[in-house]
Amino acid sequence: MPVLEAKGLTKQYTKVLAANDVSFSIEKGEIFALIGPNGAGKTTTIRMISTLIKPTAGDAIVNGFSILQNPEKVRENITYLPDEAGAYKSMTGKAYLNFMAGIFANDPQMAKEYVQKAEKICGLGERLDEKISGYSRGMIRKLLLARAVMTSPALAILDEPTSGLDVINALEIRKMIKELAAGGMSFLLSSHNMLEIEFVSDKVGIITGGKLMVTGRPNELKERYNAANLEEVFERVVKEHEIH
Amino acid sequence: MKFINLLKKELKDLLSAQTIMGMVITLVIFYGLGTIMGDVMEKAMSSSEITVCDEDNTTFTNSVLQAIENQGNKVIKVSPSDQSDPAKLMKNINSDSLVIIPEGFTKTVLEDKKQAELKFINVMRNSSLSGTISSEKNSAVIDIIKEAVSSTLLLNYGLSDNDITTVKEPVLVKDITVIKDRSAEISYSAVSSLTMMQNMFLPIVIFILVMFSSQMIISAISTEKIDKTLETLLSAPVSRISVLLAKMLAAAIVAMLNAGVYMIGFSKYMNGMTGGAIEKISSSAEVSKMLSSLGLQFAPADYVLLGLQMFMTLLISLGVALILGAMVNDAKSAQTLIMPIMLCAMLPYLLSMFTSINSLPLGIKILIYLIPFTHTFTATDNLMFDNMTIFWGGFAYQVILFIIIMFFAVRLFTSDKIFTASLNFMQKSRAKRQINSDR
Ligand SMILES: Nc1ncnc2c1ncn2[C@@H]1O[C@H](COP(=O)(O)OP(=O)(O)OP(=O)(O)O)[C@@H](O)[C@H]1O
Ligand SMILES: [Mg+2]
Repeated sequence: MPVLEAKGLTKQYTKVLAANDVSFSIEKGEIFALIGPNGAGKTTTIRMISTLIKPTAGDAIVNGFSILQNPEKVRENITYLPDEAGAYKSMTGKAYLNFMAGIFANDPQMAKEYVQKAEKICGLGERLDEKISGYSRGMIRKLLLARAVMTSPALAILDEPTSGLDVINALEIRKMIKELAAGGMSFLLSSHNMLEIEFVSDKVGIITGGKLMVTGRPNELKERYNAANLEEVFERVVKEHEIH
Repeated sequence: MKFINLLKKELKDLLSAQTIMGMVITLVIFYGLGTIMGDVMEKAMSSSEITVCDEDNTTFTNSVLQAIENQGNKVIKVSPSDQSDPAKLMKNINSDSLVIIPEGFTKTVLEDKKQAELKFINVMRNSSLSGTISSEKNSAVIDIIKEAVSSTLLLNYGLSDNDITTVKEPVLVKDITVIKDRSAEISYSAVSSLTMMQNMFLPIVIFILVMFSSQMIISAISTEKIDKTLETLLSAPVSRISVLLAKMLAAAIVAMLNAGVYMIGFSKYMNGMTGGAIEKISSSAEVSKMLSSLGLQFAPADYVLLGLQMFMTLLISLGVALILGAMVNDAKSAQTLIMPIMLCAMLPYLLSMFTSINSLPLGIKILIYLIPFTHTFTATDNLMFDNMTIFWGGFAYQVILFIIIMFFAVRLFTSDKIFTASLNFMQKSRAKRQINSDR
């Protein structure tokens, strides 16, 4: 049984059809990346799966629970890191982790374990005792990423996980995601940086104008479209769909 | 040149559609307020009718009354049968102010050449400024009578020099104030200045409290939305209603703490400011006995009711602020959102200070009472002057309104409206401009 199965997710805003019949699935331990340009509908799709907005049509099943029928159960199986998210500025990094662990954990012992795990992952060391208001963008991103994976969710949903990070940090994050996936955690990522995502994802879905054009392993896609990288794949996919 | 460019940009930023709208609304409200107040003041000042019960009914008293009429006042004569209970008496003659000239008045003044006693009964209906103004007008009535007695004495009855004190101060006024069905021998102005002291700082506390807590929750919720920490919370395994309730309750607790501090601080300040004066009056057992015999002194139960009422207003403003704050996507709109709440609090605040809302024309009264905060501003008066129907009616209205507001707040938090609905006038107008310029 796949960890996530999106079935025809559609979102119609007042004027924009932001997601149009999006279907894909993610297996256990798999890293899936939604790639596409700005305004393609990545965040919209992710928010529907995170139970934040209701789809106009379609459904998604997370670990056996429907986002429509059982959103509470879905929330127990996912974590979500929003794009460009901040944290409570008046808290220290440590306090933030404690607070969030308290939200996810069912008992204090569990919460403690979560925090310990996050402290190791985020790599902020001593600076966790400082107020978040003094953190740099990259530091906040790392803190939030650590928060998103500390509870070992069945599915971690990360919107633009490496945006705002330098090359070294982005690399570190990608490594971390790969390690966690090897341990059985599944990931749904999004990015408009198609070159970077090639290195981290097992599978990609190319989305544009709310429509998921094609999904597959990066190598498969490059072969199929006879392209050197995913950017070229994207270019050809868009052209192909324009012709039809 | 560069400066002009900068200035233009700043002005454009500050003079947004929202701020201009705010100014227009403020103007309209104050214009309306001015009209209402004008009417109220005119009514308070105009009628110079004097209701008199002349039990002496002699040539002398008649010429005194004639002298009053000669000065352009209208004297209404009444002769009630039962005078034992001033409260009932006032109800019977259907007037708010009555001068009683007792039997033997003429004899005391003309033969005994002593100060004669005059009874002066006033009905107090609220503790607002217009009430005090009408009490000023009432004491003017007494001055007119004194003057009339003096001049009648001088003109018609040749008096010797040692009668001069009598001429100067011919009458001794025995003041009686009536509130609902109670009365006490104390002057209207004494009562009104005491109640004013008691009641003045409460509206200030309420106003500050409403503003403070609304602002607090608007900025709390809009920051969470802008920082997207709200998205994280709402996608976490925690009941969304508990997220909402925690926010409301925390704000309510902080607001109540604030209220407590303000109350203590203000009462200390008031005590210090009025020095011994108020203490002297209040501690004089007689006056406080009179106040309580008038039903003006707050019993513990009244304080509980008042606290309940304030808490309700607080909850409503928090609920409204929560909904408003949840609908914005940028910090600037969040700041201007306090505007409607502020205007809703300001209108009844100012009105209740200067006039009695209960005595306004029915249409305006209903409109003002539709603002939920009004009920708190009038609560002290309603409790003091026993308008319990209005008090409980208002309370029920507030509870119903609060339930409706919470229903919408819960709907907002448990559906995806919180992420899709938006109150950004600015962005909307910008988007429209964009569309227009695209054409
Ligand atoms: N709350 C909303 N109301 C109306 N339209 C919206 C809303 N949110 C998003 N949209 C529209 O939906 C479309 C898809 O937006 P979405 O945020 O999903 O794009 P994205 O792929 O995440 O882009 P980016 O890479 O810039 O983050 C856009 O045209 C956007 O304007
Ligand atoms: Mg996005």
